[in-house]
Amino acid sequence: MNDLINELYQEIILDHGREPRNFGECDPHNKSADGHNPLCGDNLKLTFLLNKDDIIEDIKFTGEGCAISLASASLMTEKLKGKKIDIAEEIFNDFTNLVSGTSEDLKVLSEEDSLYALKGVGGFPMRVKCATMAWHAFKSALKS
Amino acid sequence: MDKSKFLNQNIRNDFPILSKKILEKNNLIYFDTAASSQKPNTVINETNDFYQNHYSNVSRGVHTLSVESTFRYEDARKKVQKFINAKSENEIIFTKSATEGINLIAQTFYEKYMQKGDEVILSLMEHHSNLIPWFFLRDKYGVVIKFAKINQYGEIDYNHFESLFTDKTKIVSLTHLSNVFGTELDKKAIKICNDKKVPILLDGCQSAAHLKIDVQQLECDFFVFSGHKTYGPAGIGVLYGVEELLSEMPPYQGGGGMIGEVSLEGASYADLPAKYEAGTPPLVEAHGLGVAIDYMNNIGIEKIIAHETELTKYAFNKLNELDFVEMHGGENNRNSIISFNLKNVHSHEVSSFLDVEGIAIRAGHHCCQPLMKHLGVNSTARLSFGIYNTVDEVDKFIEALHKCKEFFNK
Ligand SMILES: Cc1ncc(COP(=O)(O)O)c(C=O)c1O
Repeated sequence: MNDLINELYQEIILDHGREPRNFGECDPHNKSADGHNPLCGDNLKLTFLLNKDDIIEDIKFTGEGCAISLASASLMTEKLKGKKIDIAEEIFNDFTNLVSGTSEDLKVLSEEDSLYALKGVGGFPMRVKCATMAWHAFKSALKS
Repeated sequence: MDKSKFLNQNIRNDFPILSKKILEKNNLIYFDTAASSQKPNTVINETNDFYQNHYSNVSRGVHTLSVESTFRYEDARKKVQKFINAKSENEIIFTKSATEGINLIAQTFYEKYMQKGDEVILSLMEHHSNLIPWFFLRDKYGVVIKFAKINQYGEIDYNHFESLFTDKTKIVSLTHLSNVFGTELDKKAIKICNDKKVPILLDGCQSAAHLKIDVQQLECDFFVFSGHKTYGPAGIGVLYGVEELLSEMPPYQGGGGMIGEVSLEGASYADLPAKYEAGTPPLVEAHGLGVAIDYMNNIGIEKIIAHETELTKYAFNKLNELDFVEMHGGENNRNSIISFNLKNVHSHEVSSFLDVEGIAIRAGHHCCQPLMKHLGVNSTARLSFGIYNTVDEVDKFIEALHKCKEFFNK
């Protein structure tokens, strides 16, 4: 099997792609946004509950998409749950760098993070949008 | 399989890109001609030659290079005219793409012949390029759009189509060959329009290089296609329209080249076809398209059709045998295009997996989101063929598809 494919589709990604975690809608929630990839039609809806200390108490998503977009959304919700907003934004920056192939100066993400498994997307520039769809929804939900 | 139907594989040597290795080791198998076709040597070389030896602006000067450029540009128009058998060169308008052609017609046809409440008929399987220009009319002017249903074979439901006509129906616009199913529009759709005296526009993006086009025999009023899907350059498109309509409709864009005379008080407009060609046109690209037409004619359109039909049939049957594949549309009346899904595997995964094997297919909604919704999928994988594809390539693709299914179902 080709290395690029094995790197892109690591076991954890296939697993989260098949069985996304935190799939659903937060009830209650005070932040939400839709994400969509106009190139392919994939879409999701992200909801989360931000408490008065700026901590993401709960975060969930629904939607349809490829393994990469679903796994990325699923792993994102796992990572962001319980995080303070400023940290979450740093994770966002690191993650977008990671998948667009600039993984040298990551601030908060490390190889131990399960999100790191998405690094293989860097080998498929046309798939970067799949991996970042949920993250951009997160960003726009922050403004909602 | 009837091997005698296939083109001599030497033609592959005409396409330099086919010797490219993907990831430095896999031979390229290009199954994405419906998105854009590859270019033969002659188109590449002639384009180069134009810039090196003949280039200037067209129809604007009297010097030698202007004459040479203008000759090439107008010669391309003659080639297009013959290629689709239009009555007159005046009926061939160069645009930048089929998309621009449809926008041009929607805008100018509305201006001349329509008003609020008038109706347009489209189908559920139109490309966004044949939807949005009409949506503009709906949003801006209150035009009503009706959509013909399609059946499970990817064909228009002609009874339903006919039932949509009222005395407010002013124009019909349909895909001549579906870019998702590869199904050809039945002539009866055009006959219905002709009988009801409603002009019909055919979106010929997918048919121009894969069917024999004779606009007089088709009896369509407008026909658009793009050069880049017909072995020519991107940036050039063709709009055919019957002269009576084109001469009545107003100009689209204003600018140089489309005028008769200009004073500060106003302007008169040039005759056809210049009336619709404001500004410096994509002249080198037009020449490239003319060369691509020569190239197809030299091979022979009938031979091209025979080759692609046989290859499509072969691939359809191979795919249809696989229990892990879901096909879209029927087996018959299909030319050069096949859409499918792997059960439980998103088309993106299929496309990325095949990509590293050197196989280029399209994954996504194919600019047909309303159709995807109708099919109940959010995307499909699509194979599409050109003259350079072979049975051997289809076999390699099927083999890779097995591997793909194993990989994602492990
Ligand atoms: C059926 C159909 N119509 C319209 C278009 C738009 O063509 P272009 O982008 O060249 O204008 C395409 C190309 O994807 C197509 O397949």
